[in-house]
Amino acid sequence: GNLTAKYILCALLHHAQTCIRNKGSSRKYEEACDIYVRAANMFKMAKNWSAAGNAFSQAAHLHLQMDNKLDGAINFLDAGNAFKKADPQEAVNCLNQAIEIYTDMGRFTIAAKHHISIAEIYESELLDVDKAICHYEQAADYYKGEESKSAANKCLLKVATYTAQLEQYQKAIDIYEQIGTYAMDSVLLKYGAKDHFFKAALCHFCVDMLNARLSVQRYEDMFPAFSDARECKLVKKLLDAYEEQDVDAFTDAVKDFDSISRLDQWNTTMLLRIKKQIQDDESDLR
Amino acid sequence: MSSDFEAYEQDFGTLTAEITNKIGRIPKLGGEEKTQLVLNVDKQLEEVRELMEQMDLEVRELPIQSRGMYQSRLKSYKGEMDKLEKDFKRSRIAYSDEVRNELLGEDAGSSESQLIKLREERAHLLDNTEKLERSSRRLDAGYQIAVETEQVGQEILANLHTDREKIQRSRDRLRETDANLGKSSRILTGMLRRIIQNRVLVFVLGAIILITIILAIYFNRQKAFFWSTLRQCNEELD
Repeated sequence: GNLTAKYILCALLHHAQTCIRNKGSSRKYEEACDIYVRAANMFKMAKNWSAAGNAFSQAAHLHLQMDNKLDGAINFLDAGNAFKKADPQEAVNCLNQAIEIYTDMGRFTIAAKHHISIAEIYESELLDVDKAICHYEQAADYYKGEESKSAANKCLLKVATYTAQLEQYQKAIDIYEQIGTYAMDSVLLKYGAKDHFFKAALCHFCVDMLNARLSVQRYEDMFPAFSDARECKLVKKLLDAYEEQDVDAFTDAVKDFDSISRLDQWNTTMLLRIKKQIQDDESDLR
Repeated sequence: MSSDFEAYEQDFGTLTAEITNKIGRIPKLGGEEKTQLVLNVDKQLEEVRELMEQMDLEVRELPIQSRGMYQSRLKSYKGEMDKLEKDFKRSRIAYSDEVRNELLGEDAGSSESQLIKLREERAHLLDNTEKLERSSRRLDAGYQIAVETEQVGQEILANLHTDREKIQRSRDRLRETDANLGKSSRILTGMLRRIIQNRVLVFVLGAIILITIILAIYFNRQKAFFWSTLRQCNEELD
């Protein structure tokens, strides 16, 4: 079983390499490509992901030599998928190469999709938030170029989430306000608009309380339904508690809101930062 | 004479019935009505006594043999009358429950029944409070579920929005592909036509060349024949 498979694979690879060395007509190149792809699939079956990735990228390089760009890109994608499970860095490289080919051909939508894949790898495996943000932004730009506002907004939301976590509040505020104003006009999205304004208000709050108050006022003028939302009421209560430097009132308001609908991770982090600000101010005064 | 006695008996019966009725009513009344009724009953009792005396005289006039029956009857009637008088006396001083009720007011009872009533009211109120609490808890839960539903709905709507864009894009791409396919099909038919034209042309040219060759051979033959006849003529002339 396994041993025979390994033997077959080695034989195939050897064959492929000899084909290339012969440097015959394009016919030989095609054969070699085929063999590499078959070998890669067999590696996948044996769950040897890095070997499969290598085989796929070899096949892709051959395709590029034959000026077969589309096939090359497809093989790079396969290589990326295989490497995801073994060597994330290698996967990112392969995906980058695939993206280059696609942008050359002018297929921006699919390039954007793969930027998102790379960003996800940076998010989860390589834990490099800056690079992830870069890729999400790039994907959003491509989507906007292709008039897919909804997909672009999805990427921008992720960008905003991470930039706020990194304390680049202004950028996050801009994004949230932009998405909020877009959402409140759309029939389908208007029920989510209040959520975006709430997040924007929290970011304002982390910067400066007065800003937060003015911006909440502005949002209410723009979007009357926002004033009825529980989130708006919570922000107002928090602003009052902050003015009076009253940590208990702050905690009570947050607890009250949480009892009806749980606060998610991002919201809790932001609120905790604001609360720490109050506590620090209190201890400063003392 | 016995018929008189029977008449007396009937009167006695009616009178005693009336008296009993009135005696029953006396304790419930008070004041003017009571004194009136009492006088009434007094008068009726007098009448009854007179009746009794007359019945007595009647019985005495009877012969001794038939007296026995009537005497026993008379005795029982006397007993009844005594009882009526006693009842009458008692009724004049009796307290009825209704007088007490009048004094202490409607639905009043002893202090014990009051306590019972208070306890009942308390239990009732506690019940009510519990019901209120239960319903407010249920309302809270309902509100939570409504908020959750709204969140889920909002997510679904956002997904729908994305899908809508995707579908629109695919549709546009399909239309483009369709147009391209149409164009390529037209080009192919054009090519086919041109190929057929070429082939026809080739055949036509081939045919022309063949005819030209045949004509050439034919004319050559004719020419050869002409020259040979001319030479013969020349030789003959010479």
